[in-house]
Amino acid sequence: MDILDGLLQGFQVALTASNLTMCVIGVVLGTIIGVLPGLGPPATIAMLLPLTFKLDPTGAMIMLAGIYYGAKYGGSTTSILLNVPGESSSVVTCIDGYRMALKGRAGPALGMAAIASFIAGTFGVVALMLVAPPLAKLSLAFSAPEYFALMVLGLAMVVLLSGESLVKALLAMLVGLWIASMGTDLFSATSRFTFGQVQLLGGIDFVIVAIGVFAVGEVLGNMEPVKPAEMLPVPKGLKNLMPTWEDMRRCRFAFVNGSVIGFLIGVLPGAGSTIASFISYGIEKAVSRHPEEFGQGAIEGVAAPEGANNAETGGALVPLILLGALVLWGFKPGPLFIQDSPQLFWGLVASMYIGNVLLLILNLPLVAVFAQLLRMPSYAMYPLILGVSIVGVYTASSSMFQLGLLAVFGLLGYAMRKLDYPTAPLVLGLVLGDPMEKALRQSLMMSQGDLSILFRPIPSVLLGIAALLLMIPLFRKFNALRVQMIDREA
Amino acid sequence: MPSRTARALALLLLILPLAAISHAEWKPTKPVEIIVHTGPGGGSDVLARAIAVMLEREKLIPVRVQVINKPGGNGAVAAAAIAERKDDPHTIGLITSVWIAGPLTTSEAQVTVHDLKPIAQLMKEPAVFAVRADSPFKSLKEFIDAAKAKPGALKQSGGSVTSRDNIIRLSLQHATGAKWAFVSFQGGGERLAALLGGHVDIMVIEPQEAGEQVRAGKLRVLAQLTDHRLAGYAEVPTLREAGFDVTPTPQIRGVVAPPQMPADAVAYWEGLFAKLRETASWKKYVHDNQLEESFLPGEGLRKSMVQIEKELRQQYQLAGIKTVR
Repeated sequence: MDILDGLLQGFQVALTASNLTMCVIGVVLGTIIGVLPGLGPPATIAMLLPLTFKLDPTGAMIMLAGIYYGAKYGGSTTSILLNVPGESSSVVTCIDGYRMALKGRAGPALGMAAIASFIAGTFGVVALMLVAPPLAKLSLAFSAPEYFALMVLGLAMVVLLSGESLVKALLAMLVGLWIASMGTDLFSATSRFTFGQVQLLGGIDFVIVAIGVFAVGEVLGNMEPVKPAEMLPVPKGLKNLMPTWEDMRRCRFAFVNGSVIGFLIGVLPGAGSTIASFISYGIEKAVSRHPEEFGQGAIEGVAAPEGANNAETGGALVPLILLGALVLWGFKPGPLFIQDSPQLFWGLVASMYIGNVLLLILNLPLVAVFAQLLRMPSYAMYPLILGVSIVGVYTASSSMFQLGLLAVFGLLGYAMRKLDYPTAPLVLGLVLGDPMEKALRQSLMMSQGDLSILFRPIPSVLLGIAALLLMIPLFRKFNALRVQMIDREA
Repeated sequence: MPSRTARALALLLLILPLAAISHAEWKPTKPVEIIVHTGPGGGSDVLARAIAVMLEREKLIPVRVQVINKPGGNGAVAAAAIAERKDDPHTIGLITSVWIAGPLTTSEAQVTVHDLKPIAQLMKEPAVFAVRADSPFKSLKEFIDAAKAKPGALKQSGGSVTSRDNIIRLSLQHATGAKWAFVSFQGGGERLAALLGGHVDIMVIEPQEAGEQVRAGKLRVLAQLTDHRLAGYAEVPTLREAGFDVTPTPQIRGVVAPPQMPADAVAYWEGLFAKLRETASWKKYVHDNQLEESFLPGEGLRKSMVQIEKELRQQYQLAGIKTVR
């Protein structure tokens, strides 16, 4: 009954006029910065930090949390409409979300992103309340070898992200891994592939690469054919912009998958929402009855990653509290946070329930507004996408050098499109490459070079699943052969 | 009767000295920018924003203070950004020892902290050695003895090889002949998680962060890397008191300015930080975060930086870490 008492107390805190106002401000601000590429929660929260010194801590924390999860609702918007990821955790949403928009289904994609976010976001909060303490202990058992296996599992999903040719997908992934290795090496403090450039010492931000190969590459590719200005079909009326019951039925599993995977990966201090969204997308495609629709505008491909990155919020609070690492929000509550200030903790949890409802109410009508954006003719649309990309990258880095990088990766994306290379594996390699390399080297430092550390129980299971994933193409070939044989007999 | 011109001249002669005095008192006339080398939420970023709030709250500065993030290359990108401002009196930068250590191993860095104008050293950041609360090691000596008995079996989590965590490990290994492994992790949270999860045996951690874990019954503090015992750790010996003849290279935080900042502006900033450290806000900040106050004006900071660089260079050479300058 402790939990129920706590939650009731929390709602009393969260429903006071001032705290409710802070929650509304937080989620609205969050949605806005989520929509704007380049501007993410850390930068916004840092900017607001001086303000929070003047506020009551509960209200400030409720607002900052609202910004954090609100941004994840907004992040899908530009991914779906413009192929420009609004937040790093919405990169995966580009893959199917933008294809849906091209088919005139931007409305259902946006609506589904909001609904999946709501379901998984709420699940994340419930799970935080119910299972946080035992999971917190479990998350500490997760160390470098386990992270390494998790990243390998993520990389094995390349077979699911490849189009026609697995070889091309693997090559694209290798380029991603290479870019991930640029910058100062943590272990030896040596520079790798910096070409003598100070600006490359910090490595390359994967959001710039994603915006370059997805958005800029797409625009360059589309500008090529000389066609009369065309407009994307956008149905009229809010009802036609919402996901249908059939869409909801198709996404049943995606809701569960996104919620559970997002929360579990969130609990691990070394993973994060981007990895959660990738893995949840991969699982969705792996178990789907129609995997061929993924990458062509499958609505589950939007629901699963958008759910995962929202469920991650609830999960991520577990290690933050456990390790006393809530510094980002301007507070340093420490491991005794829940005991020391139950009002603050339960108020925060209750505000997250309220915030998720507010975000759903806020985002569904916005779907109609944003979907109208696609009524623009392409001669207005492409400059807009380029403009949003450039402003986004400059906001994030305030550096001309990074804009140069954006151009380079835009050209790379264009070349890949022309040569029929899939771009998603490149981004996958880039996201997972660095944590995978670190985890492997940490494991071997811990075991003094003994590889058997990678075959402890949890890593073994994860590596086993990765091996099974890698065999999917073989199964497919085998199946195709069998069908041929049966045909021939008939 | 003196002419009008003569009267005006006399008046001017009277005013001129006054004008000259007020001119020497340079004051910022537009928003000031503090350049830091971490992203939003990083150590220097948080401190810079706290300083901005304190300056405003204590009404020490007539203009707004903004924080500019120039992350990357262990301070190299931020140092270059400050150097680009040449003689701008409205820019300052917040440095840490990382800015001194970084260029030693990074040939790409064209501007180093020594090329910038030192304003003031603000503090030394203390640290403590901590183990899990259920660890068999009750003192640093017990840990070192165990490390001697089984070379390489014990592990320490920390940052990069060039970080303070590793440098103090190298000094202790050098002084005692013990050997234990060092595992690098990107973030402080990961280092602590590795210790709490039992994947490593010891770590160097900030006193404030350790204090919370001690209170929760998760960690035990064995020794402090400080000259004098911290108020919050009156029971815990310093390294020297624990019987180890090593002087930890201090981790400092300080303020620098663009290389050609005019002398009157330099004097203004030096004075401003001297005033800031006397305020109640600053004292509370230092106390809450368990920092070691160590204020030095510009010339003191310069000497401090030269000394730290010398020590780091020696440590790197002993450890076989390649230095490039």
